[in-house]
Amino acid sequence: MNRDNAGPGQNGAAASDAVLELVGLGKDYGARTAVQAIDLVIRRGEIFGLLGPNGAGKTTTISMACGVVPPSRGTARIAGHDIRSDAFAAKRAIGLVPQDLALYDDLSPRQNLAFFGQLYGLTGAELARRIDWALGVAGLGDRAGDLVKTFSGGMKRRLNLAAGLIHQPTLLVLDEPTVGVDPQSRRHIFDSIRALQARGMTILYTSHYMEEVEELCDRVAIMDAGAVVASGTLAELRAQHGAGGLEVEIDGDGDAIAAAAAAAAPLGGTRTGAVLRFEPRPAYAPALAAIEATGAQIKRIGAQRADLETVFLALTGRGLRDA
Amino acid sequence: MLIPTLRKEIQLLRRDPRVLVRLIVLPVLFIAIFGYVFNTDNSKQHEARPITVWNGAGGNGELITRALDASQMFAVVPAATARAVEDQVAGHQTAVGLIVPPDFDPMHGHPATLLLDPREPPQVAGPLRGAVVGVVTRAVLREAALPDVVAVRAPIGATSTLDELSSAFQLTVPGNAVLFGFFIALTCALSFAEERRSGTWRRLLASPVSTWQLLFAKLVPYIALGTLQVGLLFAIGAFGFGMPIGGSLPALAVLTVGVACSATALGLLIASLSSTEKQISSLGSVLIMIMGLVGGAMFPRALMPHVMQQVGLFVPHGWALDGYYQLIVGKGTGFADVAKPIAAVYGFAVLFTVIGVRRFRFDQ
Ligand SMILES: Nc1ncnc2c1ncn2[C@@H]1O[C@H](COP(=O)(O)OP(=O)(O)O)[C@@H](O)[C@H]1O
Ligand SMILES: [Mg+2]
Repeated sequence: MNRDNAGPGQNGAAASDAVLELVGLGKDYGARTAVQAIDLVIRRGEIFGLLGPNGAGKTTTISMACGVVPPSRGTARIAGHDIRSDAFAAKRAIGLVPQDLALYDDLSPRQNLAFFGQLYGLTGAELARRIDWALGVAGLGDRAGDLVKTFSGGMKRRLNLAAGLIHQPTLLVLDEPTVGVDPQSRRHIFDSIRALQARGMTILYTSHYMEEVEELCDRVAIMDAGAVVASGTLAELRAQHGAGGLEVEIDGDGDAIAAAAAAAAPLGGTRTGAVLRFEPRPAYAPALAAIEATGAQIKRIGAQRADLETVFLALTGRGLRDA
Repeated sequence: MLIPTLRKEIQLLRRDPRVLVRLIVLPVLFIAIFGYVFNTDNSKQHEARPITVWNGAGGNGELITRALDASQMFAVVPAATARAVEDQVAGHQTAVGLIVPPDFDPMHGHPATLLLDPREPPQVAGPLRGAVVGVVTRAVLREAALPDVVAVRAPIGATSTLDELSSAFQLTVPGNAVLFGFFIALTCALSFAEERRSGTWRRLLASPVSTWQLLFAKLVPYIALGTLQVGLLFAIGAFGFGMPIGGSLPALAVLTVGVACSATALGLLIASLSSTEKQISSLGSVLIMIMGLVGGAMFPRALMPHVMQQVGLFVPHGWALDGYYQLIVGKGTGFADVAKPIAAVYGFAVLFTVIGVRRFRFDQ
């Protein structure tokens, strides 16, 4: 497995550039390990993607970093403040947008934002100004007085984002912020995130949709089963784990064919459904011959797509969706 | 932190009319219904018994009728003739009749005549006869200075505060105020569950506020609300239903804050024992009803068998009501008289809080 390679020493980034540093951070729930021991550095101004299937441990990792869940091991520092020994300073620097909508349904957006803002010590004119700004970011200025329970899923998602922004944190942590939203709201959220990055905000974006991470993020860490299995820029990940292989779509008994191909030529192949994938090799002929020898029909041969799905597949042997 | 949370909780509670029903409307209804039911009963029991009297003896006879009225046991109904008295008793229209003849002179063998309805059983007829004879004898022989054969007084000690009860509302107002006052526990516990269900708890934990501040800020609004609720119920009792308050109002206030504290702490305890709103609603309301019943909020502990009276002291309701009855029924009761109930109620608040905080799962 390719352990984290996003440390501050690489690419010449200074340690002071780090907005979030996780060192050996892990969590056990009883005998079950939700997160093993994560090392991760997020630098000022970047949009960092944390990609992984459901249950990979993304939310648990974020919860530990935000001081919501006490870690079983390791440390988390936000803007240089340790989440445990310097909790208030660390928490002030971080804005959490939880995976589940965390709003008071029986209050208006303005009342919600006022309450959350006051938790961070905002009052008076400053609070009012921030509320207006956050409502603007969420595109909810015209519905500020209505009750949240009358809102659509997408509107609630946008308000959820605004609530994490109200104190203008250094690091904004978004936990699957687009689950269950309409394309329009998703577009709005993406545009907001880019605008916030342009203002200098650092963003940690969690998702199990690789398309989102590919579209939005500068750097990515891929999580599976409580561990980071790879990290780097999209280009680095594709170069290391994705590109260049061969994809063969077949018609016939997948298991038998894959076994025959693997026996003929150990090409490090994986299979999902009727598609066999082979790592980049100088020669594929023995494998293809073995497939044809089983009597199966080859429907399509092509170059493997160089996307995060492929990277994840190469690393774990499973698709993101069926993981 | 405290003020914003207070405002937020109030904004949320205002949206939920069930809370108002549970905390104010229902208890006022109960106070009124039980108050009037018991009041009617009382007035019936306290009504003087009519006694039909024919007075043929003028001034001497008037001495007798006045004494009968003054005794508060009897209400004299004058009859026109001796015959009329005879007919009414014989016809069961009245249980007792008294004929004071024109030649009334007990010292010389001319007594008045007492007529008793033969249908009355001995345990009614006996005391009736004794009472009339006693009153009449004392009235006639007032100046004769007879020595007391039997001296009468109230027993020393062991008097229940309820002996001095002057209105049924002095029972139903404290009873229902305490019973429904503890429903604030349910409201409080539900707000914790709602905070968890909606995920806002997670947001609170992520904010730069310590868990202690968080707990404190969550609990104080309910203590304030509970105090207001119970205070309002007492005000409605006093001004709306004419319930007299005999003792110290400041002591009443301190006891009431204690009741709100232990009710709110009970809410924290319930929230720490169950996580879903369904669990809290069922566990909470059953618990609160049982505690109310045992603690004498529905039926005064003073009228329960001894063992049950002692059991009632294992819940804050029992102590709270002891204090309230003393302060409301007893005249001139002050802090010193209710120190024990006040201490007990605050003690329960501390106990519930300690257990609640220990069991409460903060990181969820
Ligand atoms: N409070 C908890 N108690 C026990 N297990 C938990 C708890 N929270 C998360 N887990 C487990 O930890 C693992 C990671 O969960 P999570 O961090 O939510 O993953 P993700 O956000 O990537 O979907 C899962 O197996 C989940 O069941
Ligand atoms: Mg998650």
